[in-house]
Amino acid sequence: MRYIEYVNQLIGEATAKTENLVLFGQNIAAGSHLSGLTKGLSVGKGGKIINTTNSETSQTGMGFGLMLQGVPSIFFVKQLDFLLLGVDHLLNTYNFIRQQKPKTSFTIVPIMSDLGYHGVQSSFNNLGDICSLARVPGFSITNSFDAKAIISNHLVAPGFRIITVGQRLFGTEILEVEAEKSAGDQSLFQYSTGEAVTIVCFNLSFPYGVELQKCLEDRGLSSSLFSVNGYTSLDWKLITEDVQKTKKLVIIDDSKSANVSADNLLVEVLSTSPQVLVTKVRHDLPFNGTWLSPNPDTLDIDYEALADKLATGV
Amino acid sequence: MEKQLATEILRLRLSQMLINEHYKSGDFKIPVHIALGHETIAVAIDSIMEETDSLICSHRNMHYNLARAKKLRPILLEFLLKDGGLAGSTLGSMNLANEAANIPYTSSILGNNLPVSAGVALSHLVKGDDGVTFVVTGDGAMEEGTFYEVLGIARANDLPLAIIVENNGWSMHTQIDERRSSIDVSGLCAALGVSYEHLSGNDVSKYIEILSKVRKGLKKGEPCVVEVSVSTLGGWYVGEGEDKRFIHPHAGVLPEVSFSSWPILEESVADPVYVLTKQFSEVELKEKAESIATQIQEEVKNI
Repeated sequence: MRYIEYVNQLIGEATAKTENLVLFGQNIAAGSHLSGLTKGLSVGKGGKIINTTNSETSQTGMGFGLMLQGVPSIFFVKQLDFLLLGVDHLLNTYNFIRQQKPKTSFTIVPIMSDLGYHGVQSSFNNLGDICSLARVPGFSITNSFDAKAIISNHLVAPGFRIITVGQRLFGTEILEVEAEKSAGDQSLFQYSTGEAVTIVCFNLSFPYGVELQKCLEDRGLSSSLFSVNGYTSLDWKLITEDVQKTKKLVIIDDSKSANVSADNLLVEVLSTSPQVLVTKVRHDLPFNGTWLSPNPDTLDIDYEALADKLATGV
Repeated sequence: MEKQLATEILRLRLSQMLINEHYKSGDFKIPVHIALGHETIAVAIDSIMEETDSLICSHRNMHYNLARAKKLRPILLEFLLKDGGLAGSTLGSMNLANEAANIPYTSSILGNNLPVSAGVALSHLVKGDDGVTFVVTGDGAMEEGTFYEVLGIARANDLPLAIIVENNGWSMHTQIDERRSSIDVSGLCAALGVSYEHLSGNDVSKYIEILSKVRKGLKKGEPCVVEVSVSTLGGWYVGEGEDKRFIHPHAGVLPEVSFSSWPILEESVADPVYVLTKQFSEVELKEKAESIATQIQEEVKNI
């Protein structure tokens, strides 16, 4: 099953049984249904599905208004950068409403614009940039396990959060994996435990981590594989304990912003285990902005060379 | 006019004057926006609101909170950030909401409350509770894009939403003609298929009559903009000769306003208390005002 079909199915199961649920957003009940994200969705008794005007600021505020009155809702957004227009509400309105301890749910589901060749808006591909404004709970979906865990625990649960999906993954087969451990709030998952290397994937980088792990296995090296799907209030304990054992940390982060959670992990790791060998895999983004022209938008990783480097410890 | 409405207008006026006295004494750490001159629309809205209706306010919300809460003490305590404040001293002035009195949200940010009010109005449709929503904005906030966006959303979804535009002609210390051309709000509403009403003159009975009609329209899925001409009273002049200029009372203390049991500030229809003299004798009003003044002073004693 493709990634988008799997996510759409999980969302549909959750929305169909939720009473008074309002689904809203542009094109959610027309055309391609946001490339299949909202295709065939239904809501429980009393709910509504609204194809909205092009007014992201107001749609974001409208979701908070519904939340204030005890009506659950999900706002689907075609591109993450459209949500920049809703920042006033993500900061000011959310900071008001969180003090009221709302008993109902409001979730925003934006599609990450990471398909490539999208031009200037592609510099914004880190949900953490928005989440950090008011420490909004946020999650990314990268595989079958995190999709199920995050959607079943958060999509229509009381409170506010943003759950993003990666457009570049839409047409790919869903990665069928099982996690060994996870943080209590589904912000972090551990998929395997190894002896030689700790691989930590951020944002929507998990598929890269899976590839690297295979290359290391080919060289007889076992690795621990983590995915950090949350963006705020992260507890690094599972990772720091693992790194103390492997002494080698690989950070793979496909986000392009300057303010990244991976740096917080590095501070945590190096302050307790300064001898750890750290390898960072990130975009090379010169300040002259040449990378802003339409480009493939994916991390260009030489897995063989990286695996060799980790195998020799150089 | 019912005597009770006149009593409420006097209570809102005197309560705000008493709050201003605390301002003069330097008692507030937070900014407070006094709304002298805005009493009529607040009393009228409060009068027509039914049990499941909602009211969403803006940074200048004191008049509505006084009208809905029916008392001064918890509001003053909130402004003083003391125990017993209306919102537990967590919201202060510019965000002061009161869910128990059907004010679920108040925003300090221009234009921010309009989208939230659309959600609140939609919630009444989803829940089928027969409620309607009133949201208060101003001639400055309606310049924000959300005003236009929410008119479109309200019309597209037949929301039971009335946008109350308190037009005092000022945005902070800039008058309309110093920042933009005039906006034909009725024409804008007509273009978008939204109803429009204009209120002026501070006749509270007339306001109630028109707002009741608006509320009936909201129940039929006809969103409406109600533009209200108001004068924010309490301004003063500084400087001399050619340097003399008017200070509009946007926020902060009003140095030339004093608590008085005869609280007329301007002898014109711009002053809701002056308008009361058209229907009640001065003797009767003075007697009522003195009684209210004594009552609210007693209410806030020992704060």
